[in-house]
Parts: sequence; structure tokens; C-alpha cells
Amino acid sequence: MIFSSPYFLFLYFPLVLLLYYISPLKLRNLVLLAVNLIFYGWGEPVYVLIMFLSIAIDYSHGQIVTRCKAKGNDKGARAAVASSVVFNLLLLGFFKYWNFIAGSLAAVGAGFLPVIEKLPLPGGGSIPFTLPIGISFYTFQTMSYTIDVYRGDARCQKNIVTFGTFVTLFPQLIAGPIIKYKDLDEQLEHRDHSFEKFASGVQRFTIGACKKVLLANALGPLWDVYLATPGAQLTTLGAWLGIVAFSLQLYFDFSGYSDMAIGLGRMLGFEFLENFNYPYLSKSASEFWRRWHISLGSWFREYLYFPLGGSRVGKGRMVFNLLVVWAATGIWHGASWNFLIWGLYWFVWIGLEKLFLGKWLDKAPAWLTHIYGVVIAIVGWAIFAVENFSAMGPYLAAMFGFGAGVLDSDFLYYLRNYLPILVIAIVAATPLAAHTWKKLPERARQIVFPVLMLAGLVFTTAYLVDGTYNPFLYFRF
Amino acid sequence: MSKKYSIFITVLFCLFTFGFGIALIVSPSRDFSEQENRYLAQFKAPTLATIRSGEFMEDFEDYVTDQFPLRDGWIRLKALSERALGKQENNSVYFGTDGQTLFAHFTMISRDELAQRVGFVNKLAGNVDVPVYFSLVPDKSWVLSALLPANAPNVDDNSTIQRARELCEDKVNFIDLTWTLKDTCGNSDPRENDNFYRTDHHWTTMGAYVGYLALMRGMGDSGGIYDYPLTLCSDAFYGTTYSASGAGWIKPDSIYTMVPEGGTRGNITVTGYPEGTPIESTMYHPEKLEVKDKYAYFLGGNQPLCVIKNPDAQGGKLLVIRDSYSDSLAPFLAEEFEEVHLFDLRYNNMSLKQYVADNEIDQVLVLYSANNFNTDKNLFKLGL
Repeated sequence: MIFSSPYFLFLYFPLVLLLYYISPLKLRNLVLLAVNLIFYGWGEPVYVLIMFLSIAIDYSHGQIVTRCKAKGNDKGARAAVASSVVFNLLLLGFFKYWNFIAGSLAAVGAGFLPVIEKLPLPGGGSIPFTLPIGISFYTFQTMSYTIDVYRGDARCQKNIVTFGTFVTLFPQLIAGPIIKYKDLDEQLEHRDHSFEKFASGVQRFTIGACKKVLLANALGPLWDVYLATPGAQLTTLGAWLGIVAFSLQLYFDFSGYSDMAIGLGRMLGFEFLENFNYPYLSKSASEFWRRWHISLGSWFREYLYFPLGGSRVGKGRMVFNLLVVWAATGIWHGASWNFLIWGLYWFVWIGLEKLFLGKWLDKAPAWLTHIYGVVIAIVGWAIFAVENFSAMGPYLAAMFGFGAGVLDSDFLYYLRNYLPILVIAIVAATPLAAHTWKKLPERARQIVFPVLMLAGLVFTTAYLVDGTYNPFLYFRF
Repeated sequence: MSKKYSIFITVLFCLFTFGFGIALIVSPSRDFSEQENRYLAQFKAPTLATIRSGEFMEDFEDYVTDQFPLRDGWIRLKALSERALGKQENNSVYFGTDGQTLFAHFTMISRDELAQRVGFVNKLAGNVDVPVYFSLVPDKSWVLSALLPANAPNVDDNSTIQRARELCEDKVNFIDLTWTLKDTCGNSDPRENDNFYRTDHHWTTMGAYVGYLALMRGMGDSGGIYDYPLTLCSDAFYGTTYSASGAGWIKPDSIYTMVPEGGTRGNITVTGYPEGTPIESTMYHPEKLEVKDKYAYFLGGNQPLCVIKNPDAQGGKLLVIRDSYSDSLAPFLAEEFEEVHLFDLRYNNMSLKQYVADNEIDQVLVLYSANNFNTDKNLFKLGL
């Protein structure tokens, strides 16, 4: 199920709210667990079994770790942590990377792994072997639980319903933010429910829905045009127009989804951490990744980069650590070589910044570093978005002037048609609107807000009901 | 935010979501959308099997979107908002610069693909002993290209048609309709278009008449030049391009016929095969003017075969390999030929070679709109 759909917004979610708020406090986690499973099973019912498996394994590993630690058996606790990590990585590895690995091996003449097309079902029949939605997000969340219990950063959760609610929590189940158990622990047991919180959730959700439906979906077709344009016909300005459209589409799609998740969470009494902070304002690669998909960056820092030694090691070792983290970040985004290359692309920039470029950037004028920050992000997206290698080269070549000329009449048409939405999107990617909003007198905000909210909901509904273009960019993750 | 104000916001949001949710459940489902010219998805009760396969969920999503309260209004609001944002298209339909003409988006056909398709026509000409004529109707996006938004990417039907002509072997007589349709279409002021519907892809009766004159010239016969008056049959026709566009601000098209005073045409009889078996039919179907797809007024809509006989005519027997453009052309052909056989490859698997022999056909005309010719999957049957 996805948030940006009429059946979610007008049937599923109202029903969830109703069931949730008429239930006594004690039963609310159980209600949430039940609706979470419906939410998850909507796209592929059989994959609910993965949820049960995930809950059972991680719950029991948490118990084992706690017991071992109580007995002073550090070795046992470590083994349990390792076993949990291995299980989660196997789960992710099988569903996400099996066919990628099998296909890549076959391509170099070592095709000993079969490519899987269908999964047999326990009760007979089979289903297509597809990526269970959100698996990259929830395996990371549950992995963090056992590790944190071992580290003493999180308490062991003894109630399996409460733990199940954490694993399956629908607002952030399929596209993040990636929530660590320790950040949610207390809220799972005691949440404040107030009208103030609910109303701020409504506000956040509406903003997110508008970002996803009115901006991301509106820009998507422009990128689709340029992605489909044969390399030999790509012009330089056309290639830039296309990738700028994608850069904005991806940002509003993903951050809109995170906003909706945070908003829905608040309406149910949860407070999730922020996931985006105006990434296109960044003045460096390192800054971009502190502003983009914050929960992923912090996960990798905490559970991979720091354990490897982080930056407090020799230069050579640090470069190696960065390489590992960025290769993992890249391939996390999809089982395809271009994502690995994209990760390594960021490794190069961030490595250079850590070694010497950062010092130069500190001294450079702000406008120059802004351009640097935005341009490397956009060029990165070209590697990210053009998955097909035979198309990626020509696309990048066209961006840097080796295309079919500077511009053509198609470019003029698309620029003319998308200029207003591009301008709106670029302004919306800056804090300008938020700053202006804060400067308005309280009274004006109170009058304007419900009008904007209703307008946002009405137009979002219109675009959803028309529904010719509503992709979901995160199915791959 | 104060508590009171928060309650107000909470109530507003809940009214909106619960309100439309409840309205969706309690309002009766519509079967058909006139606006979109298609059947709408209905609620289907789930079974264990349909839930397990995911079929229920997919159907349910379609049901919610299709039966959403005020659906037509939402679609129109989206189209209006696109236009307000400066978009010159919506759902792959271009808004003409005159504010009233809609153009469908077509994709270019490759050279190889076109050569293969024209090859089927060549094969037909090799299979039969009678003259084979071949003609393609350009889309109005070429005829009225002056009305397309500036720089709008679109196919150039004329270049496709000229390439098709070059690919024809000698046995195939190609008849070019492009410039005659363009020249008679208010070339100095394209807003005076009356050869094509503004809201539909088809040619009008006037366009079909221009086509008819050119076809007759190409077939070595001057053809009767009729000065029958134009009769208005409907002024409320919204065609397929309109349905896709959501452009609710567009005025409807008018459907005209060119018939003699009194409306009759001598002894013409029409035999239709809408279900595959012959039934007595008519040239015009007034009952179709009451429904959305009013173009079916001509001959009643698509069918595998339709035979029109006119014992008073002198022109022999003509077999037309048709698409829907032939339906509004048929009244003119009927004046000229003793028999006109409209044969639709999409629904008819009879061998053309056999059909020509069995029915003593004198001439064959392969007539398609360029876009249908580029995309139809049944053209191979020409060569069977």
C-alpha cells in the first residue's frame, strides 16, 4: 500500500484512526500490529510471512542477548548479535541481490547460481520472485535493535506485540525514515495523544502529500521523456533539463514520503526523527549526505563506519572505511551496478573532501561552493537514474557537451511547458516558504493555514483520482 | 497551536477524509463514464483466492479510483490546474493554440517497421488479379500543424505517408490524400478547419468528402461531385481525444451528413455483420447520437464486414480494407459502386484472396488512418 493513493487516504487511514482511537490504550499496539500487517500484505499477501519471521527472529535474539549479558556471557551475546545480523543480511541478500549476483556471475561465465523467477508457496502454487516492499528499510531497523540491546543502548522488549508493532509500523515501514529501536522504545509503550500533536501531524502529512503528488508526480513525465530519448538525439540543455527534473522529482518524492510518514506517525502519537533538511542547499558532498536521507546516513555511520574505526584512524584506513561505507550505501539503493558506481562516486568526492578539498571549500566563496554542492549531486543522479550502462555514457556525455548539439525544438517545448512547475519546485526546495511562514503573524497563519491545507488536499485528490502518473520510486529499495 | 485551533484542524482533516470515504461507500456505483467513454471498475467481493493472488487488491484500487465521488469533477480540476500552470498538454493530449482543438500524441514508426507493413500491402497486390489501391489518411496534427503548440514533439504524418508511398511496389496504386486534405482545410486560417473533428481523431463528413474526391481521381474515375446540403445531426459530440484530455472547457463538435434533399439515396441497401451474421442495417444510426460515441452514427460502429449495395451505380464492386475512417466515407462510395464491401482485418480472418474471388471484386482499396496503419497488429492478414 502506498500513502499517495485514494484507497489509503480515504478508506484505509480513516479506518485505522477510528479503530485506533476507539480502542483502549492497552490494545492500541495490537490494533496497530493488525493494521500494519494489512498494510504490508496489501501488495503481496504471502510476504506477510517474512514479517512474522522477522519479528520472531529478532525478538528471540533480543531475549538471548539480554540473558547472555545477565549471565556475563559476552561471547554468547556476541554470537547472538552476529546471528541476528547474519539472518537480516541473508533475508535482504536473498530477496534483493540473489538474481543480481546470479546474473552477474553468469555474465562472466560462472553461472552456477540459478536465476529465480518464481517462489513456490507452502500450500502449492507459486508467486513471482519480487522484492518485498520496504525490505531494505525494515531489515536495517531490526538489525539495529539487537545491536543496541547488546551495546546497552536499548532495552530488551519483552512484549512480542509491542516488538511486532515496532517492526511493522506502517507509516515508516516501506520508505523510512529508518528508525532505530532505541529512538522509539519509550513511545512504543507510552505515547501522548493530543489534538495539538494530531493537528501538527495533519499539517506535516498535507505538506508531504503535496510534495509527492503535486511536485514529484508533475516532474516525473519530464524525466521520463529524457530517459527515453536515444543517446544520439540528446542535446546538452535537454540532458540537463531531464536530470534536473529527476533531481527534484526524487527529492520531493522521497522527502514528501518522509513528511507523510512523520505526519501519520504524529496522528498516531509517534514522533519520528527528521529525514531531510533541504539537501540542495549543500555546499559540499559531506554536507549533502548530512541533509539527504539523514536516517540512512546515520545508520551507516553508527553501525558500519564507526565500528570500522571511522575517521579516527590512519589516512589509509580511513579511506578504506569510507570505501566500504559508500559501496554499501550505493548497493543498498538497488541491485544493479550503476548504484554501486553511484556509491563509489560519492566515495570519491567525500574522500577528496576529507583529504584536502574540504579545506579549499571552507575558503571558497559561498556561491561557488553552492554550485559545487548542487552540481555534484545532480551529476550523481544521472549515474543513479540511468541504470542501463549503454545509455548512461551517452547521457553523461550529452550533459558535458558531447551530445547532439546544444538544444532542439523538443527542449524548447518542454522548457516552456515545465518552467512554471520547475520554478515552483526549485523554490520549494529552499527554506524560503518556511521562513516566510514563520514571519507571518500568528493570526494570519491561523486564517491562511486551513485554506492552504484544504486547497492542498483538494488538488492532491484531483491529481490522485486522475491518477495517470503516480509511480513510487522506492519499490527498488 | 492552541487546543481549540488544533481541534478545528483535526475536525477539518477528518471531515475531508472520512467524508469522501463514506460518500464512496454509500453512493451507488456508475457503470459507464460518458466523460471518459469507458466502463468503470466495480466493487468485487473478496474471496480467499483473489486475496491470495492479489487480484482483489488490484481490483479494489481500480474501484476506488473509478467510483470516487465527483470523479469527473476531479479530472476536470486536474486538467484546469495543468492549464493554469502553463501546460500545453494533459494526459498526452495537446491543447491547440486556438483553445478548442485537441491533438492526440502519436509516436514515430521506424523505417523497418513501416517497410514491413507496406510489405503486407504489396503482398496483397501480388495475391489478387484486380487493381489494388492504397491510401493513408494523415492525422490532423499534420494537417492542422499550425494549431499545435510551438515546438510540440509529434510525428510528421506526411513524411511517413510519403515514405509508405515510396515503399509501394508497382502493382500497388498509391493515392495521396495529404495535401488535398490540408489545402481544403482553411490553409490561410486553420481555425476554419472542417475536415477533422476538434475533439476526435476522425475526419468529418466534409473531410471524408474531400478524401472521396481524391480517391476517385486516383482510381481513374472523376466521381460524382455532390452539392448535397450539409445536414446537422448532432451538435453535442465529444470524441475520444476529448475523453483522454479532461479538458472540460472545450466546446462539443457537430456531426453533419451530406445527403440529398429528403434524406434518401435511391435503392441503397446495407447489410451489417456486427455479430458475424448478416443483418439488415442502415447507412446512419440515429440511436448512436444518443450515446457518447456518436461517430458510430456512421454505419453503427466497428464490425467485421459490411456490404452496401446500390443497383443504380455503375462502378463495379469495391472491396475496402477498412478502419473506422471508412465509415463516414462509405455514403459517398455507395453512390459510385454497385457494391462496397467494408472488410475489417481486426475482426475478420477470412482469406482476402478467397474473398476477392468469391465475391467477384473488381477493385481493392486499402484505406487506413496513418496512425492505425502504424500500430494495427492485423495487417499481416492482408497477405493471407
